[in-house]
Amino acid sequence: MTQPYRILVVDDEPDLEPLILQRMRRQIRAKEYEFVFAGNGVEALEKLNADPTIDMVLSDINMPKMDGLTLLQQLPGVDPNLRAVIISAYGDMDNIRTAMNRGAFDFVTKPIDFDDLKITVSRTLEHLSEWREALASRDQLVALQNELGIASQLQQSILPKQPLSTEAFEVSANMEPARNVGGDFYDYFKLDNEIALVVADVSDKGIPASMFMMSSRTALKGSAIGVRDPQAVLTEVNNQLHQDNPTFMFVTLVYALFNPDTGSLTYSIAGHDPPLLVDAGGTVTELPMTKGVALGIAPDVVYTQETVTLAPGDTVILFTDGVTEAMNPDNQQFEMKRLSEVFEGSPPVSASEANTAVFERVREFAGDAPQSDDITCLVLRRS
Amino acid sequence: MQFSHDRSGDTLVVNASGRVDGSNASDFLDTLQGLFEPGDQKIILDLSGLEYISSAGLRVLLMAAQNLDKQGKSFSICSLTESVGDVFRISGFDQIINVFPSVEAAK
Repeated sequence: MTQPYRILVVDDEPDLEPLILQRMRRQIRAKEYEFVFAGNGVEALEKLNADPTIDMVLSDINMPKMDGLTLLQQLPGVDPNLRAVIISAYGDMDNIRTAMNRGAFDFVTKPIDFDDLKITVSRTLEHLSEWREALASRDQLVALQNELGIASQLQQSILPKQPLSTEAFEVSANMEPARNVGGDFYDYFKLDNEIALVVADVSDKGIPASMFMMSSRTALKGSAIGVRDPQAVLTEVNNQLHQDNPTFMFVTLVYALFNPDTGSLTYSIAGHDPPLLVDAGGTVTELPMTKGVALGIAPDVVYTQETVTLAPGDTVILFTDGVTEAMNPDNQQFEMKRLSEVFEGSPPVSASEANTAVFERVREFAGDAPQSDDITCLVLRRS
Repeated sequence: MQFSHDRSGDTLVVNASGRVDGSNASDFLDTLQGLFEPGDQKIILDLSGLEYISSAGLRVLLMAAQNLDKQGKSFSICSLTESVGDVFRISGFDQIINVFPSVEAAK
């Protein structure tokens, strides 16, 4: 029997404690989680210093005596491997920016959506467990091969596991990692009444690249909560990543915000292939490119965005170059042309079917040729 | 990867051909930087024979460009094939690194 994860919740609202104990009762009863509570930063630090078994901190920002941002700053002094999730308000980019600079791992919004909180907590803890394994292996001076194995587990640990579909839309995503190279990730999350979608490709491999991937994901989620427009989100993420990037890593991505009520999809592209749109009649078009550069390499880049409206039955395909650059034994690439052909005249009836079709076609095309890059595809279909 | 180079005055033209991806990107950077001499003021990388460049390859080009920039030297690339040109255009690297249609134009 493994020990339950111990989570310190820091908030001056007395209502939160009974609410968490009630909504997380299943996880508590199953001895997956144990909760400890503190009413402000000072109390939190006292509890952390007295109890080294705490794994993660979930903290509000505004509190008396010591606020959440100051607490964040103090956490590495207590234990550098603690992971912190910050509870913030929509549109509070200044505080979110500070929290990111101080090492926050993830964000949830106020008022707390408990489904979202459960997802965020479980993903943070999964990441933490992979991270500890990575540290333990590093201490044992493992070979490079093993380091890549760990990097790949860290990569897997940040992918969303829970489906996010409703009657109005379906999202389906998959990533097939290459054996030795890997930098792709995808993400999707609820943002108020909208759905945020991300497909990304980090420039390198190994543990440093998975760290950069983690920072990219955190910066994106934080900025998505902090500012609304996708173009403003990418501007924010770019500056965030560029600030501290001595090794010139970068990430290319598509970030899109979908409104299930109106069908509107607003997206911004950072140095990435534009998504494909398959309409209900099976006509395939490339969505218009937006202005921008891969994230992290240059300061003050201007990003622009485009908006399209999805009609019922329309499908949008986001992918990485692992799809279009997949090679067959004759050294030909799969290319955009073949990706379009998957759907030309045969509009998908569901997002998951579309996703499966992409991977099947790529696999069929590649045959025995080795897979040289991660292959990622995320499909959104309006019902 | 194959390299050849040609120096005239303070201008160094390096011709790199083949493929750059995660498996050889750091060798690519080492070889490239090994060719630089202190007197070189202008470095032009002719990529007419480059068949493929991955993001790891773009990253090392960026490192080379930034290193040279810090030393007050100029770095540009030229003669991109269509597919490599697409990679530069889509990633936005053509806005970060100087790209020219030919060696002559880069001089």
